[in-house]
Amino acid sequence: MNYEMDWSAVWAQAPQLAKGLWFTLQISFTAYVCAAVLGLVIALLRLSPIRLLSMAAFAYTQFFRAISIYIYIIWIYFGLTMVTGLELTPFAASVISITLLHSAYLSEVYRSAIQSIPYGQKEASYGLGLGKVRTFLDVVLPQVVVLVVPQLVSQFAMIIKDSAVVALIGASDLMAETVRAANLDYRSFEFYTTAAVIYLLIVIVVSRLGGLLERRLKRSST
Amino acid sequence: MAGNYDFQWSVVLDHWPVLLAGAWIDLWVSIVGFVLACSLGLVFALGRRSGFALISGAAATLTEIARGIPPYVMLLWVHFGLSRFLGLGFTPLQSVVIVLAFTGAGYAAEIFRSGLDSVDSGQFEASRALGMSRFCVYKDVILPQSLRLIVAPLGNVLVGLLKSATLMGVIAVPDMLHLAQGINMNYFAPFEAFTAVLVVFVAMVFTLSLLIVAIERMMEHP
Repeated sequence: MNYEMDWSAVWAQAPQLAKGLWFTLQISFTAYVCAAVLGLVIALLRLSPIRLLSMAAFAYTQFFRAISIYIYIIWIYFGLTMVTGLELTPFAASVISITLLHSAYLSEVYRSAIQSIPYGQKEASYGLGLGKVRTFLDVVLPQVVVLVVPQLVSQFAMIIKDSAVVALIGASDLMAETVRAANLDYRSFEFYTTAAVIYLLIVIVVSRLGGLLERRLKRSST
Repeated sequence: MAGNYDFQWSVVLDHWPVLLAGAWIDLWVSIVGFVLACSLGLVFALGRRSGFALISGAAATLTEIARGIPPYVMLLWVHFGLSRFLGLGFTPLQSVVIVLAFTGAGYAAEIFRSGLDSVDSGQFEASRALGMSRFCVYKDVILPQSLRLIVAPLGNVLVGLLKSATLMGVIAVPDMLHLAQGINMNYFAPFEAFTAVLVVFVAMVFTLSLLIVAIERMMEHP
């Protein structure tokens, strides 16, 4: 081990890395919000009594959960754009890919939470004269939120992790900036270590937050 | 817009054997990584239960690191950073296997841990009281019972590793996606080439999932 470390190169590139991190957060957060909304729609479709809709939603979740984000982002950015003639920026392609993938994961989270509410509660609220919508909003949803919020938070950590791949289609996120800097300065060990530590810290903080929320919500709901 | 794109599915059909050879690399590299991940994960899980603060602390930290760093970041870190730092010069394949083994171990460790925890600790004490050695207790009492619970989650780890394995093209291992990129480079058929990858990949994942379900059934009704 004769490798001499030189962290000053990383320090000199810090502004670029920070810019990359900001881009990573922008992509992740945009995709996160989209995935959270789309996931709920898919979950509701999956639970709908209309067989065609629930089958379609089921196919959606099975299909998108089966693919690696890397294959998928390449397929969208290089393949699909060619066929449709759509001009997607790397940002848009990244957000779309991550959204489709993680909405499939999140829809399963929502679905299992909604299904975990005993059916008797629904019958009871119908019996009390509450309509379908009121029952969902006032009885089912508040309980679902308690179950879902911690997992929603953890999912954000997963999205940040998956977002590193967007560097491969030329989005200038944290990983892209790291690769560029590492190639520029021949300091691959220092730069990749820095990137790994940053991702690790974000993931740990976000998942801890999820755990904390889980305990809080459980306490306040019982 | 749509319609201007000249589909050349013959490109894919002509290169079918090449793509399948690439898919085979994805598959066997993931399986090798998976076997190593299970071994390492078991070590981590047992380390956490060892009762020595230093060992369980180290095992917990390594598990967290393995789960918190994006596979893409870790791949470049190992291949360009760590190998230079250690002066070892890993081959691309070695780097991929190391990354898959380590990331997989993080997930496998958590699965083993919850599997081991699910067996009542009274059984452990009873076996010890009967004069069995610690090793025998694990081998003959605890593990056979945990095994049934961990088959499905471990199967998901294998699928996850297969997804991460698609990144190996980034460091020039000729896997399916990398070969498809080469085909696209020569014939310019991005949609066809990447769609073929997508289809083969989904087929592989579905087959694996069916296999896992079958194994699980077999273990439930021996």
